[in-house]
This record gives sequence, structure tokens and C-alpha cells, in this order.
Amino acid sequence: MQYYEDIVVGQGRDTGSHTFTEEAIIEFARQFDPQPFHIDPEAAKKTFFGGIIASGWHTAATVMRLIVDSAIALEASLGSPGFDDLAWLKPVRPGDTIRARMTCVEKTPSRSRPGIGSARFLVEVFNQKDEMVMRFTSIGLMRFRNRAL
Amino acid sequence: MRYLEDFAVGQVTHYPPRTVSEEEIIAFARVYDPQPFHLDKEAAKQSLFGGLCASGWHTAGIVMRMLVDHMAGRYASMGSPGIDQLRWVRPVFPGDTLSLKGEVIDVKPSRSKPDRGVVTSRYELRNQKGEIVLTMQSKGMYARRPQAKD
Repeated sequence: MQYYEDIVVGQGRDTGSHTFTEEAIIEFARQFDPQPFHIDPEAAKKTFFGGIIASGWHTAATVMRLIVDSAIALEASLGSPGFDDLAWLKPVRPGDTIRARMTCVEKTPSRSRPGIGSARFLVEVFNQKDEMVMRFTSIGLMRFRNRAL
Repeated sequence: MRYLEDFAVGQVTHYPPRTVSEEEIIAFARVYDPQPFHLDKEAAKQSLFGGLCASGWHTAGIVMRMLVDHMAGRYASMGSPGIDQLRWVRPVFPGDTLSLKGEVIDVKPSRSKPDRGVVTSRYELRNQKGEIVLTMQSKGMYARRPQAKD
């Protein structure tokens, strides 16, 4: 289990991987992003993507799941104030398998709350060809080991 | 159809409000963000949030849905290159009613691809008390208006 003290600036950690199915892409997009290139395989062929692709928010949410499952900081995690500079670089298509690498780029203890620190992580997401499909810089609030909040 | 040329800096859009249920918060979190404060009411009381709240990615998805429902085939959208900044300012709790406001802050034709351009917008999502729960600055790519043929 990783607490604030365990996070080393410059150190990268890899998550597991996840393969997207067409069904899951369509199901997510019907709820959150019902554009033709995410929900309709026929209509998607005529768009400039040339076929159905996952909503960028589906890819992002899936990366969240990979991070939670890899227990990089689960018990110590106090949530996140947000993220910066998210780029969707390449489409994610049915059958594509993604994985993420999280590298801490900065960490700062809270001034007002001694039990909490914040860390910035560069999150890079790759497909099965090792092409980067997405990246962003995530901010995480984390608990110190054995300190009251 | 609305094209890049139809956007102007300072344009403001208000999107119809939406109420978020406990069931959908838990259903989303089970699949994408299974942390105790998104899944379990009792555990969530002990968290910094003070109660069960939506995954931030769920809230972002709700914003996306508001944007897509507004565009609904009326805009020559070519997807999004990305998000400059997103902040989860306050938790979203079950029963909260969320309202989105968007403002165009930049419109730029692409230098390399003459058929398209990028619109940068700033969004604020507020709850029923008028408190900001999410802010986002994001980019959308749009086709330019096709030239008339004679």
C-alpha cells in the first residue's frame, strides 16, 4: 500500500491492461457520448475516424479503473482535485488493449492539513502497439501513513 | 449545420439541468471507479467528502452528455483533441441537480489542415445551491463551412 511518503518523484508504475469491446464502447457512449462515431458502426465508417471508436471519456474512465485496480494508492487516496493537459492522441478501437503508466512529477505536503499531501502524476496511456493514445497530468490528494487527517 | 465560422469569442450557452441519482452513481463507480466513497454510504461518511459522492469521471461524463445533447447533429463536430484543465471543485451527491454554462474563449482555424479549426471553451457546472462543482477548459474540433460551388 502506497502512502504519501512512499511516492518517489520520477518513479513510474505500470497498471494492468484492458481490452475494449465494441459492445462496451457503444454502451458507454449511449449513456455519456452518443455521437455517431461512438455508437453506430455503419455511420462511423463514413466519418473521418473510418470506424467506431471509444469515447475519449470512456478511455479516461477505463484508465481510472486500471489505476484503482493496480492499488497504486487506493487506501491512501483522498480523491483528486482534477487534472491538466489531457490529450486524446489516437483513437481507441474495438479490440484495442490499453495500459497506463503513472509517473510522479511533483509532490507537496499540505500547508493547512498535516496528514495530507498532494502529488502530480503524468499518466501515459498506450495501446497494444505501444502507441500513446492519451496522456494527462493528474493531481491526487493522499494520506500520510500513521498521521491524523 | 453549424461550422467553425459560427463560433465567436464570448458566446455563452446554458444547458438544461440534470439530476443525478444514487443508483447511477454506484453503477458507474462499480465499473470505472470502485473506491469506497463512490460505492458505500457508510464508508463514505468517514471520507473527506462526508458522504457518498459521484466519481469525478462520472460527473465529467454527465457534462459530455449535456454537450452532445445540445449539439445533436447540428454541429460539424470532429471530436476533441483534449482538455486543458478540469477541476472537481465540490463533490456531487445523490439528488443533486446540475446545470452547465459554457463560454467560448478562443476560435482558431488550423494552420496545417484548412478544412477545420479548434474552439476553446470554459465550462462551469453548478449544483442546485448555485455552488460550482466542476470547471473545465476544453477544446473541440469543428469543420469549416464548405465553400459554395458554382
